[in-house]
Amino acid sequence: MLVNFHATLRAIVGEKTVDLAIPEGSCAIELARHVAERWPALADQLLDDEGEISGRVQLMIGGRNVRWLPDGSATRIAAGDVIDIFPPTAGG
Amino acid sequence: MELKTFGKSMCHINLSTGQMDMRPAPEEWVRKYVGARGLGVRYVLEAGPTVEPLSSENLLCFVNGPLTGSETSMSGRWACVTKSPLTQTVTDSHQGGWTGARLRWAGFDGLIIEGKSDSPVYLFIEDGQIELRDATEVWGKGIHETVAFFRDRYGKKNLSVNAIGPAGETLCRYAAWVNEDDRAFGRGGTGAVGGAKNLKAIVIRAGIQKSRDLDSDAWKKVRRNALDGIRDERNITSPKKGGLSVYGTNVLMNATNTIGALGVRNSQRTSFGDRAEAISGEYVEQNILVADPTCHACPVACKKEVEVTEGPWKGLHMESVEYEPAWSLGANCDNDDINSIAKMIDQCNDLGMDPIELGNALSMYMEATEEGWLDDEDAGLAWGDTQSMVDLIEAIARRDGVGDLLAEGPARAAETLGHPEIAMACKGQAVAAYDPRGLKGMGLGYATSNRGGCHLRAYVAAAELGVLQGVEADPLAWKGKGELVKIFQDLHAFSDSLDLCKFSAFAEGAEQYAEQYSVARGEAFSADDVMATGERIYNLERYYNNLAGFVEGSDKLPARYTEEASTDGGSKGHVSELTEMLGEYYQVRGWKDAVVPEDKLRELQIP
Repeated sequence: MLVNFHATLRAIVGEKTVDLAIPEGSCAIELARHVAERWPALADQLLDDEGEISGRVQLMIGGRNVRWLPDGSATRIAAGDVIDIFPPTAGG
Repeated sequence: MELKTFGKSMCHINLSTGQMDMRPAPEEWVRKYVGARGLGVRYVLEAGPTVEPLSSENLLCFVNGPLTGSETSMSGRWACVTKSPLTQTVTDSHQGGWTGARLRWAGFDGLIIEGKSDSPVYLFIEDGQIELRDATEVWGKGIHETVAFFRDRYGKKNLSVNAIGPAGETLCRYAAWVNEDDRAFGRGGTGAVGGAKNLKAIVIRAGIQKSRDLDSDAWKKVRRNALDGIRDERNITSPKKGGLSVYGTNVLMNATNTIGALGVRNSQRTSFGDRAEAISGEYVEQNILVADPTCHACPVACKKEVEVTEGPWKGLHMESVEYEPAWSLGANCDNDDINSIAKMIDQCNDLGMDPIELGNALSMYMEATEEGWLDDEDAGLAWGDTQSMVDLIEAIARRDGVGDLLAEGPARAAETLGHPEIAMACKGQAVAAYDPRGLKGMGLGYATSNRGGCHLRAYVAAAELGVLQGVEADPLAWKGKGELVKIFQDLHAFSDSLDLCKFSAFAEGAEQYAEQYSVARGEAFSADDVMATGERIYNLERYYNNLAGFVEGSDKLPARYTEEASTDGGSKGHVSELTEMLGEYYQVRGWKDAVVPEDKLRELQIP
């Protein structure tokens, strides 16, 4: 599964796109936990105290923050879905 | 310096007669409208809302906020307020850097300028004195050369130069004032108002002065509270750690691209796909960034200074590559060459132009070219033709050839070409780098902005992009955006009047603003007072615009956003539900359509 990392998260991961070995049909929270385990420096940003996806990141499937999708962090990731993870971003 | 005396040192300057008077702002005005934006609008109202913007009667006001020049974090701001030649609305624009602070240190809270000089002049300000001096030697020169000229004449130490360039002199309707080479009163054409008055520059020499109020324990405490928030590693403002500090405003490029809120080809598409990476903050940071300069009293350092190392503009050293021009001159024009974008931003800094308006003028012209709507003798402009863009920018500033048409701004130019529908503008001012189909609240913010299409009046993107914990909002939902936009507009109307950087709102809120203003003002001021005062200022602006002819039906978006569905990214298939959002908005505002009713004016004690 290809995952794009952005901004300060990319600086920790070291590259923009990483191919993660996550089973097809995994859901968003499983992806977040996998990423947090592989890059412990990201764990505090990715997961909150309850181990759920933190409000400090935007984990997007197909350009939509899973927070706003009907199944939230339980949203299943389908083959071909584009995954992006952003820290908070604003400016303008 | 005594913060509690803010508003006492306003200098009224008549360029027609050369007369100058020190007159304090009426205390009632300072109490009701605070400073900077709010106080400036109140002054501009005095010239009458139907004044011709480029006439000698229009007022050009440069106004500090009560915190400008103090050690308050992110307070290196001041406002330019006037009636806009671009929109015919009242407009305010804000500048970072050091100039506002130096005005304060030189002994002034604001400059209220009227009339027109017979010949080019500049203001020289130092140690409580203001003189009108001859600017003939720098008339016609670019801003970089103008700054260098005054540095040669007066020395670089403690000097700030705020100047117009050739675009202001030729009355380009989106001409800007630029200080210290690269910080601009960018929007609304304030530079053209300066040009119409034959006012080339404001030169201020003043060293740092500490505020006596900083000796108080109360001041230290509230300043520390605000600074702690800015430094908090969870906030994007955190120095060297937060995304805004590390990558600058262009940290946004990949985010808006992904969610389908990045207008491409004059908003014909909503994402730049893989090409966005080449003009993103991440790319700049990795490839051409050389320094992170900052404004007075700001630990964030969001400015990004770059050096171009290859191609036709190799060797260019400039600041700052920001998100807005990276979009307006980049994705919006189908251009993914970051070096050319740096070149064009530097042109705007030197010629004195708003790059947002400029990029929209170019993209409109590109679409007209593609559609074959130009006269036969007009060569037009191809998408992404960077060298021709650079050449045309120079022509616009000089009003040469078709540059004369495009200097009128995209809205007027598209009208002249017979296709007003391809101008992405509200009330005559172009929109910014947030496509309203992918960020619904931003669309409502554009439509209801009191200075025409503008992302900063209600930067509700902070909620829609999840920056503000506890105030998150789904960018594709329209319900609730009416109230959210009102809250953001009111809060920012107040912070623009303090005058704190807009980005302070990523770490502070009404409570922090109230704490700091209470000490500065010398009497209690609550968070509720912040919001009520912001509402009054927003309504004052709207009242002005109503009197200027903006009535029912004037809060609109280009039909492209309400009728043509988003093509790409997370927003694919969406349009802006503007009508529904406006219904909510007018209800929470207590307005009758776009008009402030009499009872609302009385309630808010306007004017």
